[in-house]
Amino acid sequence: MTACSSHRAPCIAVAVFGVLLLPPMRDWLETSMLLQMLVQIPLLIAVGWHLHGALPTRLTAALDAWNRQGIAGLILTTLAAAFWMLPRSLDAAVSDPAFEVAKFASGPLLIGLPFALSWPRMGFVVRGVFLSELIAMFFRIGWLYKASPVRLCSNYLLDDQQRSGQYMVMIGAGILLWVAIKLMWGHFGSPSGFTSSDPSR
Amino acid sequence: MATMTLYPREERLAGSERLVFNLYLIGAVTLFALMMLIGLTMRMSQAGWLGVPPDWFYRLLSMHGAGMVGTMVMASTAIMWFFLRKYVHLHLWAFAANFTLFLLGALCIIISVFLGGYGGLWTFLYPLPSMGMGMWSPGAAALFLLGYLLIGVGELLFYLDAAAGIIKVHGNFWHALGWNWLFGGTVNPDHPKAVVASTSMIIANSLGILAGAIVLVMCLLHIFFAVDLDPLFTKVLIFWFGHMYINAAIYMGVIAIYELLPRYTHKPYPLNRVFLWGWAGTTVFVVVVFGHHLLMDYAVPHWFLVLGQITSWTSGFPVFVVTAWGGLSNIYQANMRPWKMPARLMILSLFAWVAGGFCAVVDSTMRFNLVMHNTQWVPGHFHTYLLLGVLAMILALMYHVIGERRQHLPDHGADRMMFPVYLGGALIFLFGFLEGGRASVPRRMATHLPAWQFTDKVGSIGGVLVVLAMLYFAIRITAGLLTSESDPPPATEDGRVGLSDATG
Repeated sequence: MTACSSHRAPCIAVAVFGVLLLPPMRDWLETSMLLQMLVQIPLLIAVGWHLHGALPTRLTAALDAWNRQGIAGLILTTLAAAFWMLPRSLDAAVSDPAFEVAKFASGPLLIGLPFALSWPRMGFVVRGVFLSELIAMFFRIGWLYKASPVRLCSNYLLDDQQRSGQYMVMIGAGILLWVAIKLMWGHFGSPSGFTSSDPSR
Repeated sequence: MATMTLYPREERLAGSERLVFNLYLIGAVTLFALMMLIGLTMRMSQAGWLGVPPDWFYRLLSMHGAGMVGTMVMASTAIMWFFLRKYVHLHLWAFAANFTLFLLGALCIIISVFLGGYGGLWTFLYPLPSMGMGMWSPGAAALFLLGYLLIGVGELLFYLDAAAGIIKVHGNFWHALGWNWLFGGTVNPDHPKAVVASTSMIIANSLGILAGAIVLVMCLLHIFFAVDLDPLFTKVLIFWFGHMYINAAIYMGVIAIYELLPRYTHKPYPLNRVFLWGWAGTTVFVVVVFGHHLLMDYAVPHWFLVLGQITSWTSGFPVFVVTAWGGLSNIYQANMRPWKMPARLMILSLFAWVAGGFCAVVDSTMRFNLVMHNTQWVPGHFHTYLLLGVLAMILALMYHVIGERRQHLPDHGADRMMFPVYLGGALIFLFGFLEGGRASVPRRMATHLPAWQFTDKVGSIGGVLVVLAMLYFAIRITAGLLTSESDPPPATEDGRVGLSDATG
């Protein structure tokens, strides 16, 4: 068995990261706020999520000792994600190469990877708090982008900003619907489910 | 099925659980008494018997509204916890965290109102909080909203822990609500009603708190960054949050009826398909019924108003059919003599819930709403089911618990005397509001014309009686909770504790 077949997800993640780095792809995804916020950055986070399978077991175990209930990782993820929610950061990522590098590094390594390491360790309540705030944040930021009469990013036009706001509200509603369906009809107890093996944790 | 044993062993509290539960109940009765004193002050000011300046009147009105709604939910959360923990595993840290965040939130609100001068009412309707016009600062308004956020986060933590416990036992909400038995199958009569009601409120009130978390932060952004919001959409979210939050107080409180009533009637109160259908309806209606708050907002889409109207009419049926009728059926031909305080309070709460609900249905009918919406009919209807409904449910549990601590049913002569003072005072007090509403006396006015003051005076007299009764209840319950526990009587064969005077 080759290394890549046993680590298919990390290999695909690295490939996707490479594609995202390609100048034409990067330029295209940064032509609009909608694509940068809701396609490029989520893909970078997804890359980081899928990299966790490539981490050596010893390193994962060492990190776990510092990541009780996944809370430390969740805090890191949240702070890094909050930075990239700021319109100023999005603007800078287009205009300033240093911010662009920071985005490509922090998306996978400070958001996606710690989140992947933390999610299985989170109990029901921590996951619930995270998802509630995630949904609320999508609605708030979406509403803000839609309601603001002025451009929040100098690189993007108002209609792009408002369209991004609309999509964020729709994504928030979609996550809410998924959580509701999961709670109502879902099966719990598997590590891949909404809860960890002990939902009462 | 709820136990028939008056004080089952699995309900006994010890150590930290008892401490936190005591804090909830003592905190609740203290806040109820204080908020009632504030309410009485306002009513006497409207009657012309006290001279409260208008700016202070609106501060007191804001404090009374926020304080009463918050305390009602806090106390009915204690009811839900007390009974739900018998059926699913609940963590004490979540229950304690809710109380701690409630206290922090209450502190923010108190500072905002009494030091910051906030008087934009508990409904914080946009853009009023940010328009203090010199009476309060943006910081005071922000602190008020932050207080709400803290209280909401605490409640959400408790719900998440309760949801985890319910899911661990029942698999998912579908089974916890008993919806797998709605259309067929043999209903398990032992499926706990407390689980059905708790799950329903976890669903509804979590959605409300989520809406609140969105709109409160947006209002904070408006205060500090002058972000203009759509006033109508903001109002929709505020009332979705507010309506579900106060409704949750009622529906969490009713768990006490389901659990305690059969112990005092000595008749089983089994779960059946009608009950499940009723709570299925309640779960949906509580989420969608708030539209009746927007009947006077003509810019709201027509379909939304129609939905609000229809759901307002129909939402009463689950309550009437399931709880009131079910409760009356349980009481019918039951030997409840000698009547004890918990039994008296539970029957009173059923009456007030239905009576207040009927007044609410009247007000939510569009043609009536046109005339009555801004009159004292509105505080009349919600005081009916809060003062005599939810509060009576909460007091019933409190009296039941202090009876358990002393191992005999609470029925002092003073209790027998203060119950009619509470009931009579409350009926006089409510008459003041409802008759004022019939006569088109406006609500929320600091200064009343002489022609309006007859009902204000009647209401104030009733209010004095209610406050006297509440002060007595607060002292009685606090003393009862702090008393050292008596030794329980020997357990019966099934391991439960019974009392001879309770089991007849």
